[in-house]
Amino acid sequence: MNRKLSSGRLFAALATIVLTAVACGSTSAPAASKGTITIAGFAFSEGTVLADLYGEALAHDGFTVNYKLQLGNREVVSTAIKSGQVDLYIGYAATDLEFYNKGAGEASGDAAANVQKLNSHLSSLGLVALTPSTAIDQNAFAVTKDTASKYNLVKLSDLAAVGGQLVLGGPPECPTRPFCQPGLSRVYGITFKSFKALDAGDPLTFAALANGSIQVGLVFSSDARIAPAKLVVLQDDKQLEQADDVVPILRSAVASDEAKTVLNEVSAKLTTADLVQMNSQVENLHQDADAVTMAWLQSHNFGM
Amino acid sequence: MAAIESVLKWFTDPAHWSGTDGIPTRLMEHIQLSAESVAIAMLIALPIGIVLGHYGKLGNVAINVSNIGRALPSFGILVIAFQIWGLGDLPIIVSLTALAIPPMVTNSYVGLREVDPDIKDAARGMGFRGMAQLLRVELPLALPLVMAGIRTSAVQVVATATLAALIAGGGFGRYIVDGLDQQDYTKLFAGAVLVALLALATELSLGGLERLVTPRGIRLLRVRAARPATAFKTA
Amino acid sequence: MGHGLFLQGEAQPWILWDWLFSHVSRFTDALQQHIALTFIAVTLALVISLPLGVAAQRWRVVRNPAFVIFGIVYTIPSIALFALLIPYTGLSATTAEIGLVGYAVLIILRNVVVGLDSVPPDVVDAANGMGYRPLARLLRVELPLALPAIFAGVRIATVTTIGLVTITAVIGLGGLGQLIEEGLVDDFRTPLVVATVLSILLALVADLFLAGVQKVALPWSRSA
Repeated sequence: MNRKLSSGRLFAALATIVLTAVACGSTSAPAASKGTITIAGFAFSEGTVLADLYGEALAHDGFTVNYKLQLGNREVVSTAIKSGQVDLYIGYAATDLEFYNKGAGEASGDAAANVQKLNSHLSSLGLVALTPSTAIDQNAFAVTKDTASKYNLVKLSDLAAVGGQLVLGGPPECPTRPFCQPGLSRVYGITFKSFKALDAGDPLTFAALANGSIQVGLVFSSDARIAPAKLVVLQDDKQLEQADDVVPILRSAVASDEAKTVLNEVSAKLTTADLVQMNSQVENLHQDADAVTMAWLQSHNFGM
Repeated sequence: MAAIESVLKWFTDPAHWSGTDGIPTRLMEHIQLSAESVAIAMLIALPIGIVLGHYGKLGNVAINVSNIGRALPSFGILVIAFQIWGLGDLPIIVSLTALAIPPMVTNSYVGLREVDPDIKDAARGMGFRGMAQLLRVELPLALPLVMAGIRTSAVQVVATATLAALIAGGGFGRYIVDGLDQQDYTKLFAGAVLVALLALATELSLGGLERLVTPRGIRLLRVRAARPATAFKTA
Repeated sequence: MGHGLFLQGEAQPWILWDWLFSHVSRFTDALQQHIALTFIAVTLALVISLPLGVAAQRWRVVRNPAFVIFGIVYTIPSIALFALLIPYTGLSATTAEIGLVGYAVLIILRNVVVGLDSVPPDVVDAANGMGYRPLARLLRVELPLALPAIFAGVRIATVTTIGLVTITAVIGLGGLGQLIEEGLVDDFRTPLVVATVLSILLALVADLFLAGVQKVALPWSRSA
């Protein structure tokens, strides 16, 4: 593309943006809404996919849905839902359980049991977790192929002997989360040389693994960027990670039977493979999350 | 107040004074990122501002570059630099340098322009020419304003270096970003206090240096007080 | 619709034009939020700093505490201030505005005081001699003469605020800052670059616009 054409197009694009911003008012609201639900998305890429997926299903059913995407991590989102600034977010059974029970270690490999226990902690907060999906996204720990072969790493327990030479990277909250650094220490006895605060399995983590400023990075098991980045996920041979099935968590005040039915229907049809596939379209191909999730809903008979 | 008490406790906890996440380490990181950026910006900005001011060229550019500098969204600049140079100190230093240049150019330009023409005439009468006139007459007289530009930039850089933590950088910004993500408001508050103190220390020490290098003759004259247009805040 | 045209490992273009043209509304929405956050912040700051500035210029008891308090606020990094307010005002526009207004007040306040300080004493004497009462003198003589400095403060505050709004992305707002954050998290350059450029342009256009207003409204001012 030559420079002249490019700057002409830039100007055209900017002019369109500015004119539209000046000209257009607020968008019109749909008639006869069944109620308004504000859904929060976590500030990692799958957070947007899941928020769009469940949000579009609710919107299709006649709810007015507002989105607060990329809102923050669980610490931020839980603050928002407890104060009623958002009504719904899509969480993960085991991680949310250990978050609300302050790391009491109740989580197990049984997602239904996790959600049941989770609800015992949520009810006093005016929140409720619905039936979990079978789609799972767990914390996982990845190393580069070079690191794996250099230290003979296949499973997490292999890290115990060499952890002192390696730097762990993850989101800033990793050192305080039971399924992150403390869990690696408690279950596997791994002590790392140091911890580097990055992001929740997003570009900073991938970049840090690639340039060697960390050797072990927290990623998500359903992340579609792991394979193209030539990373190896270490096996969780002592089951540190528990059943982290996708589960909608909402304020009881908005948990009408109809809303619950719609959300449960999405959870029931969603599989881990679907989630990885959608993540791949968004993360690797930069397709729009809302379009990708809409296509999934259409192909799963949500009649759109 | 409970909040103040917990922040005081945080500061007196020995665990926060050692290790890779300790205050001394984070202080050194913060100073290093800031000092390197300001030093590089000086090498680039001061010659430009001084030469333009000496010859009285491109005055509009030299003055308006400050406005453009203020318009730069530091967060966007940092992330773009991360996209170009990847993880590490380089993208942070490049961004901070870019933000530090404009006030220095404007102030050194104005400093040189404001040298009294009668003094320049007198210097010429005494045989000063070209470089000698610039270095031995104009520059010493312009020094207070040149220094004010450096001080403005340095304070701005110290504050903005906080954002480096958003692209995995070190420094006191770590306490703020980590505190937010861990919902540890004590750590967050402590980080804010540390950044504010460091900015204040920068302001005071460079302000002191400014007074030291001000020629006695000028000190006796009225040094123009509080220029209204030196507010720089990009973070 | 898919617009992903590149794969991992391939050099990512700085701007994917097709994506940009099919997502114009994302940018217009962000720009609107950006303008609204800025407009409210600067307007409120002006409403606060005008009377405060007049009082501060007149009475030392007001001047010192006002400058000390807003001076301290000014040194707090915005990202920390926004985050520290979350427990009190939540992830709301109020949180953003408290911070943005706090910073803009110092900038405008300083210029109000400098502007009033620079009114020549002779002029004040002359106004007194003409029988102006203090309030009338303030409104008809002193403030008009201080307006160029006040206007300069409003311009700096506006440009500064436009830059700071991007940082409110950390509390889920951000205007164009949201698209910058999306660029960071999704490793996607198009929203990042376009939002950054738009933020710069918005600041420069706002500055030029205010300069134009100043020229028309205050023909007696010679702005720098």
